[in-house]
Amino acid sequence: MRFRAAIENVNTFCRIIQAIEKLQKKCIIKFSEEVMCIICNSEANEGGIQVWSQIKVDSLFTSYRIQSNASNVITMALSSEALLATLKSASTSSKSAYETEEIVMKLAKKNDQAVLSFEISGVTRQGRKVRVAHDVKIEVMKPTQVAELKEPMCPEPDVHIILPPLQKLRPIVERLRPMSDFLAVRANNNGRLQLSIRTDTVNVDTEWKNCKNTSKASTASQEQEPDEPRDPDELFSVLVSTKSFFKFLNSHVVSTTTIACICRNHCMILYVYVGDLADAGGVLTFYIPGQLVDE
Amino acid sequence: MAQNEDESEEANLPPVLKASVHDVRYFATLLRGVNFVNRATVTIARSGFIVVVEEARTLLGTAYIFAHVFDEYTYNSETATAPQDSQNSDPDEEDNVAFEIPLNTLIECLNIFGTAGSIGAVTGSSTGTYKKWKRSGDGSDQEGDDDDGHGRRTSSGTGGTRGIENYFGNASDKGTGMRMSYAGSGCPLTLLIAEDAAGPTTTCEITTYEPEPHLQLPFESERMVLKIILKSSWLRDALSELDPSCDKLTFIGNPPPAANGRQQPRTAGGTPMLRIQAVGTLGSTEMDYPNDRDVLETFECTRPVSFSYRFGHISRTLRALQSSTKTSLRIDDEGLLSLQFLMPSPTKIAADSQAFIEFRCLALDDELE
Repeated sequence: MRFRAAIENVNTFCRIIQAIEKLQKKCIIKFSEEVMCIICNSEANEGGIQVWSQIKVDSLFTSYRIQSNASNVITMALSSEALLATLKSASTSSKSAYETEEIVMKLAKKNDQAVLSFEISGVTRQGRKVRVAHDVKIEVMKPTQVAELKEPMCPEPDVHIILPPLQKLRPIVERLRPMSDFLAVRANNNGRLQLSIRTDTVNVDTEWKNCKNTSKASTASQEQEPDEPRDPDELFSVLVSTKSFFKFLNSHVVSTTTIACICRNHCMILYVYVGDLADAGGVLTFYIPGQLVDE
Repeated sequence: MAQNEDESEEANLPPVLKASVHDVRYFATLLRGVNFVNRATVTIARSGFIVVVEEARTLLGTAYIFAHVFDEYTYNSETATAPQDSQNSDPDEEDNVAFEIPLNTLIECLNIFGTAGSIGAVTGSSTGTYKKWKRSGDGSDQEGDDDDGHGRRTSSGTGGTRGIENYFGNASDKGTGMRMSYAGSGCPLTLLIAEDAAGPTTTCEITTYEPEPHLQLPFESERMVLKIILKSSWLRDALSELDPSCDKLTFIGNPPPAANGRQQPRTAGGTPMLRIQAVGTLGSTEMDYPNDRDVLETFECTRPVSFSYRFGHISRTLRALQSSTKTSLRIDDEGLLSLQFLMPSPTKIAADSQAFIEFRCLALDDELE
């Protein structure tokens, strides 16, 4: 089993892990020849939010080499906190004491412990060369364990809509979070999106009217159900945990475009694109299960 | 909006209250000044409305929010039942409407876009965010309000009829516009909030409750023994100096020395005119104010007084004090403290109708003889 890559785009990698780390302290990363998949599927996760992301190897790494008996796929479980700390120290910020020139990530074994070893070489402000090494403990997963990882099954979504910038959504949900545990997300195929809460003391509805629906969705549904023309103004609603939705909004650090899909009364799927939609380096897919609450 | 639950005859009535404002920050600042207990009693009258909050049957906070705080303010008395004359009901009968409301929820709703003032709206923050009050900038948040208000006034001209687009259409400044309506007893308080015409709109329906009788602390001016008017910053600096762990705060006032010569007679260790004394487990602090017109604009004291208050109660006033310009401090012969804070308005209005926040607090019993 061999794995070695130079991290080209450490800031993006760092932001992705930052979004993941807020969600779950441990995550699974599956490296294959073309893509890196980051998976959060822990049952312990409150609200049952899951992340299945696919990041193109080219958008983050260079001189990427991978070899394994499991058709060149390596899957590992590791602490997202530790990985984030490592990437933070490597990312170029004004605070860091040295400027990073090269980061090499490789699989290694130290004292019988599998680690993902990061070697950072940089230059201090005084012009001296420095080398910093971080080892993140990992647990390499067996192919049988990997086979058990299943992406959640969802019906064909009722509506696909492009969300407003997540930085705009975040303060609103932040206000709603202390008021209600559950948040209803509603959208139609005519650019309308609503976030609303209902409690004994207050009802709050926030509505956007000029969101874009993605065309992909409408054609797909038309092909499948051609004899059932849908009213574009019909709102599809799903009730999710406010906390889970807020956790998803932590991905605002990495997002450019986010598409939300609603499977009515079932779940919500959110595609957070890393980089431009046209030339996306990858996508983080969040699954937020719907909540059933007796009204 | 919220009238569909009502009987059909009531549905024809105009809402009891309709108010709108293009920038909610001033309104939110006034509400935050009394946001130390979640349940507030709101009394709506023709001239504006009054928000009352009480704590521990000892402290009463009241915000007087006059109609001119809003761009539009219409009050239709609920008792004017006949639909035909409801539009201009008898102005002589000033009957008010009162309800209770979760104040913190109202403030959070106003701040839904995070653009209704940056002072963190945290309840019970008397000690937690204490350091925030010690900012060097003299209430920088409020100054921001001022600039914004003037800028908009000059650009859009004064007064005139402006549609809702104008309230919501200012994309350049990040103010939050609001429309508020209250259909009548049993109905929710409905808020329509938007940042700008292009952005999202939020509709909030806040449940209102039957008002409970609250504490009455009438302050009779005949019984007043101490009256001080001073710049709020002088009081704020003094109170923010104090350690939050203090448990008792005493105001000591003495009649000024005979009016001959300003300062010379009393400098030599005489009795102070105004002293603030705080006692806590870690020690005590005393602060004396000089007899200087620049500091104490008004000072009236009929006899030596010394009354103590729970510091926890006094510190509840700090948020209002922080955003106010002038303070009036009065104490009556039983120690009832009245603190009035003049809240600077972002727009130029007559000084006598400026919004203000008043706190009344009972003295600690052990000081009464």
